[in-house]
Amino acid sequence: MGDIPENSIISLYNVTRSFGDREVLKGISFEVSRGEIFGLLGPSGAGKTTLINILTGQLSCGGNAEIFGTGCGSIGSGLYRRIGAVLDNCGLYERLSCLDNLRLHARIHAVPFSRIEEALQKVGLAESGNKKVKALSKGMKQRLALARAILHEPKLIFMDEPTSGLDPSTALEIHDLMKELQSKGTTIFLTTHNMDEAYRMCDRIALLSEGEIVELGNPAEICRQHCSSSILNIVTTDGEQMEIDNSPAHAEAVAQLMREGRLKAIHSSEPDLGTVFLKLTGKELDK
Amino acid sequence: MKTIIALLIKQCKDSLRNLPSLMILIIYPAVAFVMIMAMKGEEGMDNVFVPMFAAMHCSFAPLVISSNILSEEKEKGTLRSLIMAGVSRVKVLISLSVFVLVSVLLTGSAFLLMKEFTVQTAASFAAAMLTGAAVSTLIGLCIGIYSKNVTAANGLAVPVGLVFALLPMLGQFNEGIAKIAKYTYSGQFREVFEGGEFTLNTTLVPAAYFVALSILLLVLFRRKGME
Repeated sequence: MGDIPENSIISLYNVTRSFGDREVLKGISFEVSRGEIFGLLGPSGAGKTTLINILTGQLSCGGNAEIFGTGCGSIGSGLYRRIGAVLDNCGLYERLSCLDNLRLHARIHAVPFSRIEEALQKVGLAESGNKKVKALSKGMKQRLALARAILHEPKLIFMDEPTSGLDPSTALEIHDLMKELQSKGTTIFLTTHNMDEAYRMCDRIALLSEGEIVELGNPAEICRQHCSSSILNIVTTDGEQMEIDNSPAHAEAVAQLMREGRLKAIHSSEPDLGTVFLKLTGKELDK
Repeated sequence: MKTIIALLIKQCKDSLRNLPSLMILIIYPAVAFVMIMAMKGEEGMDNVFVPMFAAMHCSFAPLVISSNILSEEKEKGTLRSLIMAGVSRVKVLISLSVFVLVSVLLTGSAFLLMKEFTVQTAASFAAAMLTGAAVSTLIGLCIGIYSKNVTAANGLAVPVGLVFALLPMLGQFNEGIAKIAKYTYSGQFREVFEGGEFTLNTTLVPAAYFVALSILLLVLFRRKGME
């Protein structure tokens, strides 16, 4: 398990939650520090959305769940003003325009209307302000939900599958914005079942399976930790592909290829997050 | 207060773009006007149609609209986004109720132009319209909280609304129904809409509904939490 970070924004200790007889979360413990992008990975039904609902005060739980040092069961309006959320269901008023949707939240948060233009610009919807939400594509709705989430400059943003079903370029734009927010000190709590997204975006991840955390830490480190084979995959300039054991005995062979200028590509063979998840749980991550 | 105003502004804009809701708000005053105009030669038709459609308006429109708005907020996830923005559930209910009451009162004021009223009977009319709409709104909120989505809410709200809207009218033609109708708040207010005064019955019956429905709303709110 990874080290507990200092300066924690989210703190969970032995969090449990059941629906009837079904135990959805079984003793979840971790902390998320300020300015971190933390990813919660797991297949559908693993308990990701339940955990977000607990953290945002929508569901009660056993154990101890805190954000900004306050118990999640007693989050007041003051604390909600420090939180932004992009949830699976965008929660936008379909008959209203993008501007009207953001004006509502600007009024609620007492944010000047000038910020609305800025937020729309950041998500690339500056030209669509007067469009009704029902006329927007799924990607545009998701970006509008993101604009709403950042309108009041929250310190913590929850993102539940923010790029699910989006085209790669829109997903990339959302990733860029996430990195920009992080650079300004915003903490991002991301749930996803997209392992590439988690690997590229997150400082740390927790792998969630059937309500339990099976691994926690930096995604690259996790992959390295679970690398059982030490094979190097080599491609030469003439197209030949080789698998060489990563050991001192084969160092000369690799060096020879380099000296001859025949080395085109060389890859180590760490598993990806999906493979790690499969190894730990026997289940596929993106199901 | 600024949150409630923000929600009211949103609700006004949204409802103006929601044709079915607009239709429900204007249908009974419009039908009453058409009926009175169509039977202009007959004397006293305003005394028949205004109380009849006013009772329908104050019972059906707020009930269906409030349940519809609340269940739609739940279904579309907008309620959750409001809660996540720090808006309390109580403020959502208050703003919704204020919007429904004001819009029903405004559209219902058209009845005052269709029949002769004194200042006193007009004041009684407005008070009955407001109280009837308040009771109907409570029923609508209970249905909205109880229902998971708009379809389920409409499936309950429309028949319940029709019962309270039609019983007073049907009571005019059938004594048996009249006996039942007098125990409905809409049936009691119909007498006020006819130009009568508030009596013990026209006060007690709606008050009993108001208290019982407030308790039911509280219980549902605590048990279901609007999720």
